[in-house]
Amino acid sequence: MRRLLPLLLSIAFRLALWCLLTSDLSWLNLLIGLVIALLLPRARSRPMPLGALLLATARSLLAIPQAYLEALRLIFAPAVVEIEASEPATDRALPLLVFLDVFRITLTPFTIVLGLEDDGRRYRIHSLMPAPKQDGSRL
Amino acid sequence: MQGSLVDHTSLLLLGAGLILWFWGSWPLLENRSYLSKLHALSVADTLGSALMLLGLLLRIPGQWPLLTLALLGLIVWNTIFGYVLAACSLPARDRTPVEEQR
Amino acid sequence: MTVLLWGMVLALLIPIAVACRPTNVWHRLAAFSSVSSKVALIILVVSVVRDDWMLGLVGVIVLSAGNAGLLLLANLLREVEQ
Repeated sequence: MRRLLPLLLSIAFRLALWCLLTSDLSWLNLLIGLVIALLLPRARSRPMPLGALLLATARSLLAIPQAYLEALRLIFAPAVVEIEASEPATDRALPLLVFLDVFRITLTPFTIVLGLEDDGRRYRIHSLMPAPKQDGSRL
Repeated sequence: MQGSLVDHTSLLLLGAGLILWFWGSWPLLENRSYLSKLHALSVADTLGSALMLLGLLLRIPGQWPLLTLALLGLIVWNTIFGYVLAACSLPARDRTPVEEQR
Repeated sequence: MTVLLWGMVLALLIPIAVACRPTNVWHRLAAFSSVSSKVALIILVVSVVRDDWMLGLVGVIVLSAGNAGLLLLANLLREVEQ
């Protein structure tokens, strides 16, 4: 079951992309899409914690409206400062989770991931923040 | 009446996307650090273009599957490309002081 | 809609001008990626203006193929520079 789940998820994802691409829900087209989804090479599937995956996906989706808010704040900011920071990585065992994390951080205009440091345990982040108004020493 | 409302909303979204484009592309012309340009480009190209695609989606709702695919592809590709550009340029940036000393 | 299209073309001129200037290769690469997504969006808007979805299909394909080539090029440049 734990091995079957990632397989089913990836096939469902590919089938959904196929349906979006062809915008046709007839049986023949679904069959062709299913065959293509099965035939495409896939990465070695590994037992995947479904809860962590769902959490990371939800956080990535939530990052989109947050990105617009940050863009507005950046536009109306009088001055900006550049900071280099780092953030602990949640889990580096699963490439998909790392991908979702990098996606979530880079999508927001304040922050860009520069890479992994400290042997992959932390993300190196470059961030561009609106300058604090009163005290400049609060970096 | 409803049609004109949809039209106006879509024009509003397209205009907002265009403003984000200009705001985010302008720093390219200035002398700023490379990474801050990348921050601005992520605003312009990812967020502004996504707003424009939403505006187009309101205008031609019949083509929603392909437009959704384009929206998905745009956001994912541009975000990951920003990350790759930032990560790949890093050794080059660290090495520039050495080259200037020569 | 026509005004919007002209505005988009004007915005497209900014990264093109940057790419034509003598500058660092990374700045140029960023400008080219900006050109690619802007052109795809312009194709989509033109397809709506002309009411010709065949053009729009091209835009969608460009957007979903993304700039995979530029991505490879960035990786290659890093390898060469090291």
